[in-house]
Amino acid sequence: MTGSQRSAEGTGPAQGKDSAALGSFGRYAGPATLILSSLAGGPKHGYALTKDIEQFAGLRLAPGTLYEALSRLEGQGLIEALESADRRRPYQLTAVGATALRAHLDDQRRVADVGLSRLTRSWGST
Amino acid sequence: MTADGPAAAQRRAARLLRWYPVTWRARYGAEFTELLLAELADRPRSWQRTADVVRSGLLARLTAVGLTSHRQEPAGQLRAGLATTGGALAAFGILGGAMLAQLTIGWQWGSPQAPATAAGTLVMSVAALIIGLVVVLAGAPVAFFTVVTLARDPARKLAWPAGLLAAGAGSLVIGAHHFQNSWPGTGGTAGHRGLMPAGMAAFSWASTLSVSSYWAHPAQLLRFPAAQQAWMVVSPVAAACLITGAAGLARRLPMPARLLAYLTRLAVAGALGAACFFAGAACWIFGQGSAHAGLFHAGVLDVAGLAVMTLALAAAVRATLSAREAIGRLARPAGG
Repeated sequence: MTGSQRSAEGTGPAQGKDSAALGSFGRYAGPATLILSSLAGGPKHGYALTKDIEQFAGLRLAPGTLYEALSRLEGQGLIEALESADRRRPYQLTAVGATALRAHLDDQRRVADVGLSRLTRSWGST
Repeated sequence: MTADGPAAAQRRAARLLRWYPVTWRARYGAEFTELLLAELADRPRSWQRTADVVRSGLLARLTAVGLTSHRQEPAGQLRAGLATTGGALAAFGILGGAMLAQLTIGWQWGSPQAPATAAGTLVMSVAALIIGLVVVLAGAPVAFFTVVTLARDPARKLAWPAGLLAAGAGSLVIGAHHFQNSWPGTGGTAGHRGLMPAGMAAFSWASTLSVSSYWAHPAQLLRFPAAQQAWMVVSPVAAACLITGAAGLARRLPMPARLLAYLTRLAVAGALGAACFFAGAACWIFGQGSAHAGLFHAGVLDVAGLAVMTLALAAAVRATLSAREAIGRLARPAGG
């Protein structure tokens, strides 16, 4: 086992506090990750989030699901609402949210790396 | 925009928004409506979107009353959890009281043949006493704080829940006291063999008279005195007033943190008492076997009652856990 594989398959930050922040979202972890990833590019309101996520992930979050995840993220302090002159209130990532998102994506990348390396070993590069 | 125009889209968005609770609408209503309008313009018809909003709205309603694990602002979550625990235990108590009243009447005339019925009745009696004690211990300080708060500030929005509670409780006590004279246990064996005193059993029977299989037999029901028929209609309304008033008080009455912590501990004790009662009731219903049950016979109504009590107990446990989680956060120092 190589050093990078050990790092990928061992217990790393996957069990860390920041990753747990998203892990506790259960079935909302997926929408939460998409929302945080979208907000990593800058503040957005609900409809702009829907369109952005549709563009980069190829799926459209339904309004109820989107706002369930938004209220949970806001409750955990991972995002915050900004003041707005109109009724479309934008949200932005907080520092805690940025740390949690980074930890979560690092974990996902490690899992993807392990899967890809095992696929390559067993099934070849095709 | 939809084919019907902006006004129709506004109406549809407003209809969808109504699935959410008031508190949620106050916080997210305006922006959510904007999102729905944009969605309606993109895709005028989508049953998946409607289903998603309905599901999410109902979930938000459950969350608002402390029935999900979703965290809210701790003070609000604590009060919602306590109010829901009280309401669920009250519903549990009405059905359980009717069951125990039936068993006590049977016991007044002779011991049950099935050991499971005897054991179940004894467990239910002890649990009922625990629940009753919890109600007294919780009700006394809440009543005191309600009176003090109303005396200091009559304009506070406590008048209607306090009035509703007083009207419901007063009607139940006066009505049950009147109708307990018709208790079928009167004239039974001289030495009462159950754990519940006969007077209490008669009161319990009279206050839960509406929980009856006679509703399914209108011809027999109509043979009852008109006053008793009226009481069978009025008493559930009075109970509903009592529960609604108590829940309103739990949400609005300004209570010190120590009292809220005390009530949370009592909610745990009440839920444990209800769980014991439930075990006793299940023991009676499912353990009577083929023995001739007579007055101890568990019928369809009792099985249905137990099913509803299962839901009420589950709600009470979930809401109690929610209240405990919230009080833990309130007690934790900021940043801890």
